Amino acid sequence: MAEKDDENLIGYDPLAWMHDPSSDMAASEITADAPESTEETIVESIATESTFDSEASFETIEQSEDGTNRIVLESTQGIQNVQALHESLLQAFNLTDSIEIDASEVQQIDTATLQLLLIAKRSGINLQKQISIDFPSERFIEAAELLGLAEMLEVDQAAAGFF
Amino acid sequence: MTTRIVAVLNQKGGVGKTTTSTNLTHALARLGKQVSVIDLDPQNHLSVSLGMHAKQQSGIDEVLLGNKRLDEQALEVRQGLRLIPAGPRLQEIEQLTEGGAHRGNLLRDAIGDWQIQQDFLFIDCPPSSSILVANALFAANEILIPMTSDYLALQGLSHLIGTIKKFETALQKKYYLRLIMSRYVATRRLSQVVLNTIQKYFPRQILATSIRETAALAECPSFGKTIFEYRPRSRAANDFTELANDFLLDRVM
Repeated sequence: MAEKDDENLIGYDPLAWMHDPSSDMAASEITADAPESTEETIVESIATESTFDSEASFETIEQSEDGTNRIVLESTQGIQNVQALHESLLQAFNLTDSIEIDASEVQQIDTATLQLLLIAKRSGINLQKQISIDFPSERFIEAAELLGLAEMLEVDQAAAGFF
Repeated sequence: MTTRIVAVLNQKGGVGKTTTSTNLTHALARLGKQVSVIDLDPQNHLSVSLGMHAKQQSGIDEVLLGNKRLDEQALEVRQGLRLIPAGPRLQEIEQLTEGGAHRGNLLRDAIGDWQIQQDFLFIDCPPSSSILVANALFAANEILIPMTSDYLALQGLSHLIGTIKKFETALQKKYYLRLIMSRYVATRRLSQVVLNTIQKYFPRQILATSIRETAALAECPSFGKTIFEYRPRSRAANDFTELANDFLLDRVM
């Protein structure tokens, strides 16, 4: 990540990974061992990416007057929309230091989504960004507790505070 | 004659892809080059910008669906400039689910049968990641990225470069990459800061002439005219003539 310069109008530099050889983005995960399967892999990946409309992911991001970004989880959170959530989180990371994730509408949630939220919380700590999961639904808390993630996601405290 | 195949690409909308495709290709044709341009965007904006309003005019859609050859669909729209319109069925290509890697090869295979001698074949890509963009990247040897000088454009560029690197690895090729500063507002300090940032990561890859933001460039598509027809003595027309020379001579910042 580029250093922030008070004279610079750009804070977080989204291109910094290009000069960081250790960055995950700098190294492709696709090997060149099997050309045919590699071509197929790249076509599949871009076809999958296109099914998650990036414009739709913007709709789930709301910005409050104090600059906090709010992401509203959908009632069904699963593998089919986890990539869109991932993109929303990345965008929110780049836009603000405070992200609120509204989990009040969640009726169904899978392991992939909970893992993504856990990674987001941990990444937030590393990047000194505040991430909170607000108003978790009963279903959200149940799923998190089932996987032993409620404490790490801080939803057990949120639930206690809500009542 | 080896045709240079150039994808005009940026996943971010509104950066000037179609404006660049329209006016740069016409500028090159005016300089005596034989140029073709494919409208690979289902929105059909390139075709409209060049005066083709017929929504049912078939084009690259029928080529990718295997029903027509590329040269059969080329329309002479200006002297030295041919257009292959999008066609009404182009969205069907995006919805193809079978065929594996073949879905990405459709355009490359069609170009392989191209019978017309051309200096350049430009591909105006849609603002998205999709099978259509995959086809453009499979087919192209060069990528032209129009860039606006604002922060979110850097964000989009970061994502785009990641995509390009994946394709380079998967296809085992290295694209010839050039960037164009588009809709540039020289009086805005952020513009210069963004440009400096891009230069840091893409040294000697930004074409020398920035296309300045002007109302005329936004107006001329509605008349189906290029800037050379709409405002021939405007600074925008001059910018695109200079940009065409930059492109031919590889003049960079």
